[in-house]
Amino acid sequence: MSDRKSTDVDSPVLEVTLATEAITTQRRMSDAQASTGFGARLRHDLQFIRGRGALEISVVLVVLLTGYITASLISPTGFAFLNPNNLSGVISQAVPVLAILGLAAGILMIAGEFDLSLGANITLSAIVFIKTAESVNLWVAILAGILCGVVVALVNGAIVVYTRIPSFIATLGMSFFWMGAGIFINGTTPATLTTSRDETMVFLFAQDFGFFRSQLIWLIIIGVLAWLFLHRHRRGNHLFAVGGNPAAAEAISINPKRVKLMAFAIFGGLVGFASILIAVRTSSMQPGGSATEDFTLFAIAAAVVGGTSLWGGRGTVLGIIVGAALIELIRNGLLLAKAPGFYITLFVGVTIVIAAIFNKLMEGKAR
Amino acid sequence: MSALFALKGVTKKYGPNTVLNDVSFEIGKGEVVGLLGDNGAGKSTLVKIMSGVVQADQGDFTWDDAPVEKMNRDITERLGVETIFQDSALVPFMTITRNIFMGREITNKLGFMKMKEMDSITAEVLDSVVTIEGIKSPKQLVASLSGGQAQAVAIARAVHFKRSLLILDEPTSALAVRATEALLNYLTHLKSDGVSSVLVTHNLHHAYQVCDRHIVMNHGRKILDVRREDTTVEELTAAVVEGAEGIRRYREGRF
Repeated sequence: MSDRKSTDVDSPVLEVTLATEAITTQRRMSDAQASTGFGARLRHDLQFIRGRGALEISVVLVVLLTGYITASLISPTGFAFLNPNNLSGVISQAVPVLAILGLAAGILMIAGEFDLSLGANITLSAIVFIKTAESVNLWVAILAGILCGVVVALVNGAIVVYTRIPSFIATLGMSFFWMGAGIFINGTTPATLTTSRDETMVFLFAQDFGFFRSQLIWLIIIGVLAWLFLHRHRRGNHLFAVGGNPAAAEAISINPKRVKLMAFAIFGGLVGFASILIAVRTSSMQPGGSATEDFTLFAIAAAVVGGTSLWGGRGTVLGIIVGAALIELIRNGLLLAKAPGFYITLFVGVTIVIAAIFNKLMEGKAR
Repeated sequence: MSALFALKGVTKKYGPNTVLNDVSFEIGKGEVVGLLGDNGAGKSTLVKIMSGVVQADQGDFTWDDAPVEKMNRDITERLGVETIFQDSALVPFMTITRNIFMGREITNKLGFMKMKEMDSITAEVLDSVVTIEGIKSPKQLVASLSGGQAQAVAIARAVHFKRSLLILDEPTSALAVRATEALLNYLTHLKSDGVSSVLVTHNLHHAYQVCDRHIVMNHGRKILDVRREDTTVEELTAAVVEGAEGIRRYREGRF
């Protein structure tokens, strides 16, 4: 009985505390709403972009580009960056392919997984595309190439998700399997585009428009779609949730296995598409060759340089595209400066490690 | 007070260890129940069973007087049970808005999120629910919040989605004094919305302050189930520390 009384005495005190706190809360929120001028809003937004990858890396890219353009204007022959041949022949063929592969690897990394069979997947999907284009027609070939990428990635994904083997090991092993599958389908001679490489195919995937090529348009389309999916669609939100904290996602009834399989499928689709771009550019693909193997680590590198976390749950579409552009620009700059091939790999390696350290620091800052 | 959720004869074994032995109790509508006990008393197993993460070996469950055939995560989600575990409730590198709407996003027909609507609802929810200072914007990353603020966001989420039973696992252990005070006040206010809650805690003073009823566990058994007005902090302390023997001694000393 006496306890009941004490509750009654307590409750006005409770209400007073809550009321004062409600007042402070209201003042704070109205403060935030008052500062809705453009400058204030921009500052507000920038503050939240900081430490999420895209801002810092974009600044680096702009600085590098400014340097390149200045050098090229001063000495057009010594550093031929602005030469149309370089812009359309090198930059706009290399950047889109790496950026699309970077988006593929990045989306999977956000979900907390890797796929080291990316290079083998390119070889196999390109061979399937070439053979179908030669024997059926272009449109079926496009579908077949993309579908091949999806199937390869889904098989890898199923192994990773259902056996819980770390994706590093599972997909490394599978990469040898898929390389072998390419030889099984095509033999050891290269698959080559001959009569099927007609105007339509070239227009779609490798047309030279003077300063840029078709690949750049594809990158813009895919970039916008990836942004809409990753940053605006609820499935994209689930991807970040599963990669960032699987337990929290599961507690709210998001199925991590389903989400990860979806990430593998998207990864495969993008890899399949990129392999079409690569096949049309080079007109042939060597089964079991090592030509595509570099793409695996460069794609992951583009994602990391662009601010994607190696531990999952973080990454942006803009950051990844900028990361891919940065890697290709450094490569291109060294080439134009006539550095030996060895140095190019070396510098790219250093860039990746610095970017990874930088990301780590940024993660601390955002906390 | 009619029962929202009733457990009858719940038993759980892990190998040779019986972690829960014939535990039965009811949670009333709008009731705040304190689940107390020392480490290893079986509290966390009980929480996992109630939230559907772990299945009991034996036991019957009723929800709103209707029997629940099987307890799993899908069922408890549908019934409206939300468990707020100490530190696994939120995704650190997502914004507050995205955390609150995680898995329950407001979207158009194509599944694209209505960000502005979600942000403004979050701002409202934070204004009305979270009385903990220092949250500047719904776009803030959860990683930048303090433990108390994050806890408050997790609770705000449960409240906004009108969950009917909130299970809070050691919610005050990571909180500062002020944040704890605000949280406990908030729990008492939840009652008026008809939300039931289970407060799992070591801190008897916190439990005593807000809970309508106290359940004390000891070695997998329920040894005390008592309304707030029929007990004292001293009796609860004796029960938690010394088990059934402690209760007996306390009552002998008293009467």
